[in-house]
Amino acid sequence: MNNFGVLLLKEERALFSSPIAYVVMTVFLLIMGYSFTLTLFLSHQPSLVHVFFQIFVLFMLTVPLITMRLLAEERKLRTLEVLLTAPVSEIEIVLAKFVASMSLIALMLLLSGAYAAVLVLFGDPDLGPIYSGYLGLLLFGSALVGVGLLASALTANQIIAAIVSLSAFLLLWIIDNFGWLLPSPFDTLVVNLSLSVHFRPFAIGSVYLSDVGFFLSVALLTLLLSVRALARR
Amino acid sequence: MSPVVLAQHVTKWYGPRRAVNDVSFAVEPGEIVGLLGPNGSGKSTLFRILCGYLAPSAGSMQVAGHDVVAESMEVRRAISYVPEDSPLYDHMRVVEFLRFMANIKGLRGATENRAVAAAAERLDLGGVMTMPTGKLSRGFRQRVSIAQALLGEPKLLVLDEPTSGLDPHQVIAVRDLIRSLAGRHTVLLASHVLPEIEKIATRVMILLDGRLLTGDALEESAGGVRIRLRATGAEAAVRDICGGVGGVRSIAAEHDGGSAPVRYVIEAERRPSLAADIVTALVAGGIAITEVSEVPHDLERVFLDLTRRPAQAAA
Repeated sequence: MNNFGVLLLKEERALFSSPIAYVVMTVFLLIMGYSFTLTLFLSHQPSLVHVFFQIFVLFMLTVPLITMRLLAEERKLRTLEVLLTAPVSEIEIVLAKFVASMSLIALMLLLSGAYAAVLVLFGDPDLGPIYSGYLGLLLFGSALVGVGLLASALTANQIIAAIVSLSAFLLLWIIDNFGWLLPSPFDTLVVNLSLSVHFRPFAIGSVYLSDVGFFLSVALLTLLLSVRALARR
Repeated sequence: MSPVVLAQHVTKWYGPRRAVNDVSFAVEPGEIVGLLGPNGSGKSTLFRILCGYLAPSAGSMQVAGHDVVAESMEVRRAISYVPEDSPLYDHMRVVEFLRFMANIKGLRGATENRAVAAAAERLDLGGVMTMPTGKLSRGFRQRVSIAQALLGEPKLLVLDEPTSGLDPHQVIAVRDLIRSLAGRHTVLLASHVLPEIEKIATRVMILLDGRLLTGDALEESAGGVRIRLRATGAEAAVRDICGGVGGVRSIAAEHDGGSAPVRYVIEAERRPSLAADIVTALVAGGIAITEVSEVPHDLERVFLDLTRRPAQAAA
């Protein structure tokens, strides 16, 4: 196992030995189960579009809880000093934390796959929007984890990290509402920063490279900035 | 042989505050060097720069021939660092933590097993290997932290306040352990406890307000000699006679009160048969001596002298 593998294993253990992961998963599944059941019985439509939009909102509320401790805790407990004076690179540390957090996101999505399985078993859903919805949520999740990780890299206080990332998510969620009010070309610029503008097509079955590129760019940029934040000492 | 550590004019600013001020020193292979200084004198900052955790604002630092900034990864491979207060991953068991540290130092498989077992045995961690590090006492945390530093046989061990918070038995054990590393490892340790560093280090550097006051306090203290004697007779006569002995720099009298013989502390240049010459001169002058002894080299005095100088200069 290389250093990245060792660090990833450590992060997975830290994540799944903390109650936060289980609380987040439980709350997520309870809320989504209730929402899925209610929507299905009311609409009688074999679709997960509503569920995807609700997961979209729920991710913005839960990802800060997953990412807030990633680097802030290491900084506060000074284990970062142990890690950064050992022969491991900042890139390996940041990537291990990112991948570990993404594994929890992926696990939550996997468990929510039960809703899709119910639809397939008892109905005839259009699978295209389901696949694109999950792809969109995964990409959206990676952007959120990147932003959360960056917030955690900039402070030793977990609460501040959570509040900063939550504020950033909420701002980027509704920023298109303000963007439309701006004169051209600022309107296009601001509207295209919106998380919901880029997620909406995925939820309804359309995959655009621009949306894929947006989420991947946010994730890569924030990871790069997190590495820089660790390297700047 | 090239030095393991070579610091040249290292300075570190934290905003407007200069934590380390133009520090230069070298550490040769196999040395146990103590860095002595009061809290806040810049010891931890200097160590963090040495380990590549902080970058110097000016100057350069090399470990095993590698620059700590430009070749940080090579430096990290050559060094093991025990930060102050032993930060550990509290959710990990001791054995997991040691294995994790061994793994990130590149030890795998049988080598990893041997290194972990050897470090655990050396620090007597057998009874706590399956305990979470978060549940350990301060002494055990310190031992786990030192055990991880021994993994991978680093060229340089850097220990920041290694005996801080330990009980006397643990202090003795850690002191013996560090002494036993002499020759095999180069050790650089920081402490604000003067007697502690005096017992462990073969060379002591003193840091105050970020400035390195001396690179070898023990040598400075050994430059002269202090002889303590208790003598009857007139103080003026004792002073006259002792002052006439070659090499004597100063004589201080300590009065116990009453009719007890006065105790004198004589500072002199170190030379053979100095004490014998003083005793002979006093006896020849009719002064009776009830006690004579050489005061061992006094790091405390050097420390106080050196740390007072800047204050006096400022005044």
